Amino acid sequence: MAIVGSFCVSVNREVCINSQMPGKCAACADVCPHGVYALDPRTGEMNVVNYNACVGCRICAEFCPVNAIRINPAEPEYFTRYPWTFAAIEEVHAKALTGEYLLRGFGTTGQTPNFDMITVVPSQIASAAPRDKYREECDMQVVIGEDTCEKPMILKVPFVWAAMSFGALSKEAKLALAIGAAMTGMATNTGEGGLVPEEAWLARGYTDREMTRKKWDPGGYVIIQWSTGRWGVSVDYLNSGDAVEVKIGQGAKPGMGGHLLGAKVTEDVSRVRGVPIGSDALSPCRYYDVETLEDMKHMVAFLRDVTHYQFPILFKLGPSRPYADVAACIEAGADAISIDGLVGGTGCSPDIVTQGVGIPTIACLPPAVQALKDYGVHHKVKLIALGGLRNGLDAYKCLAMGADAVGFGSAAEIALGCRVCYACQKGNCPYGITSPKPEMRARLDPMEGGQKLANFIHACTEEVKILTMLSGHSAIRDLSTEDLRAMDLNTAALTGLKLAGYDRPLPIWEALGGNGNGNGNGHH
Amino acid sequence: MKTISAKSKDLKTINEAIRQNVNGTPVTVSSASHLHGLAAGLKHGEVVVQGRAGDYLGVLNAGASIRVTQDAGKYVADNMTAGTVIIEGDAGMGAAQYCYGGTVVIRGNAGDFTATMNKGAAIIVCRDVGDEVGTYMLKGDLVIVGNAGHNLANYLIRGSVFIGGTWQSLGHNTRLVPPADEDIARLRAYFDAHGIQADPTTFKKIVAASEKPFYK
Repeated sequence: MAIVGSFCVSVNREVCINSQMPGKCAACADVCPHGVYALDPRTGEMNVVNYNACVGCRICAEFCPVNAIRINPAEPEYFTRYPWTFAAIEEVHAKALTGEYLLRGFGTTGQTPNFDMITVVPSQIASAAPRDKYREECDMQVVIGEDTCEKPMILKVPFVWAAMSFGALSKEAKLALAIGAAMTGMATNTGEGGLVPEEAWLARGYTDREMTRKKWDPGGYVIIQWSTGRWGVSVDYLNSGDAVEVKIGQGAKPGMGGHLLGAKVTEDVSRVRGVPIGSDALSPCRYYDVETLEDMKHMVAFLRDVTHYQFPILFKLGPSRPYADVAACIEAGADAISIDGLVGGTGCSPDIVTQGVGIPTIACLPPAVQALKDYGVHHKVKLIALGGLRNGLDAYKCLAMGADAVGFGSAAEIALGCRVCYACQKGNCPYGITSPKPEMRARLDPMEGGQKLANFIHACTEEVKILTMLSGHSAIRDLSTEDLRAMDLNTAALTGLKLAGYDRPLPIWEALGGNGNGNGNGHH
Repeated sequence: MKTISAKSKDLKTINEAIRQNVNGTPVTVSSASHLHGLAAGLKHGEVVVQGRAGDYLGVLNAGASIRVTQDAGKYVADNMTAGTVIIEGDAGMGAAQYCYGGTVVIRGNAGDFTATMNKGAAIIVCRDVGDEVGTYMLKGDLVIVGNAGHNLANYLIRGSVFIGGTWQSLGHNTRLVPPADEDIARLRAYFDAHGIQADPTTFKKIVAASEKPFYK
């Protein structure tokens, strides 16, 4: 809703098929998730009936066979009419008419503190000399649960797919993620909606249930999510993966459980989740079977027990009080902790929660790392950063700030073809990524999607490698905050990184007991 | 009959001992009230817990018969998918949550949040239950022989709650209906199977008002 009224939409009648053959083509009207277009039943011409609803995703332009659609950003009302922009007015009108708050998919819109005002410090003469990306090796491997489990998870690249459930995503998208993980040696995550059976063997690189025919090297991993809704969870389910993730919260809606609206509860999803077809599946916001941190420790203990002490136990946190939350996860016995920032995505959430709740990813990392350091487990208990990360540059900055791996969720959907229309909750995704409808799902080939995802990860891996080596390191575990500088006061204040030019952390961080390496904190 | 004393032993040791010994003969475990997650994830066999049990007894049970001779702690039979769990005494809060199948019988009282998100199990409490019992049930039966507290069966979606006594308040999306003949037959079968003295014809039945409640 925040971007409603920001785009001017026009159909060029000289080239639109309907001008020559009235009523012949409705591609734009069919794919638009927001009802911007409608065929005039009388003349057969395509009309823009509601350009104010356009969110600028340009799916229509991609599907138009004759390139007749133009979408241009409107003059930014934000500067001229704030606070009563068209979007704000429309929002009030919509609430006045319906009495309902707004629900939408994807993630935060607009400016939030991000990684763009951080720059990477390259190596020159004063520090270790740069490594040669083209002729030397760089160690990208990350091991989770090395000392605590019989089968640690050895990620070949420092990436995981963010947890996205079957139901929120289509089966084809889940399979593509599994194939992408197998091709790159990373981990896919079931999310809370139960396992698509094929996911288990595809993610490990096999094309058959018995895992005799290996197709993709190096083969990846499946993280099984243990969540508050416990959809489709059994002891066999927990043992069908390579790790168990205890979901506490997520970036887009910390403090709330999963939302899967009735429109997406189809027969398949109903079978896995046990919710009637068409009924909303709303997960509880907390564990009904955990009251205290002691209970959580017991939960970790029995999860280790039923999985025969083989697999790592991960925690997934929403962005709340990173220092205290990470400390609690360490005490509960986590092998790895994912922390998902404000910009993290969702299949469906109240707009105000996605937009206005939680700490930005960039500001989650320093306190989370400090907690790990204070407990003496930094880089032993692994930290996974998530929330609106887009490329190898964002990933590198997270790694240098102290994370061990990063997760891609929104970027993975975009790699599959998504154009960010903020309507995942409706179940009409024209690319078949978040839609349960067979005609939409037919547009997403899991093999092709898996290849795209693997390509994306290969590119990001190379990007991280370039940056790691030009800053004088030959392993990602050697990166530190010394490899980064903040380029403005805000970013330096949020992160404790040294401010470029000033070349020290801001005095507020030094006064709080900072170690001069950018990770001082005042959270005790 | 194999007997294991859990005194001063940890969860890993005792659960591994149970797993090794459940093939064929029943296993008796004593002095285990300090263990949380006892007899977790068993697929078959028979376990008797002599005395009190800790929290998360029989969590993720997938087919075993587990009996506790006295009281059990919180979250008994959590996320069970098959099998039977019988508590001869009282159960703490949150008994039989997230169960997909199997049978849970609590001969004493059960606490708040019993049978939350039941997805297919038969859960029978022979005396009283606390508040918020049967919240967001999606399938299965919850039978309360005694009385219930506030917000009984809140946001029930599917499945049935049968109650012999009274309640302080009913939750959202609930509706009282007269039990059908097959309901009474089913209750009688539960009572006969577990030796419970109650008259099924006096029970009231609570079902969901709608399978698609308005949540906002």
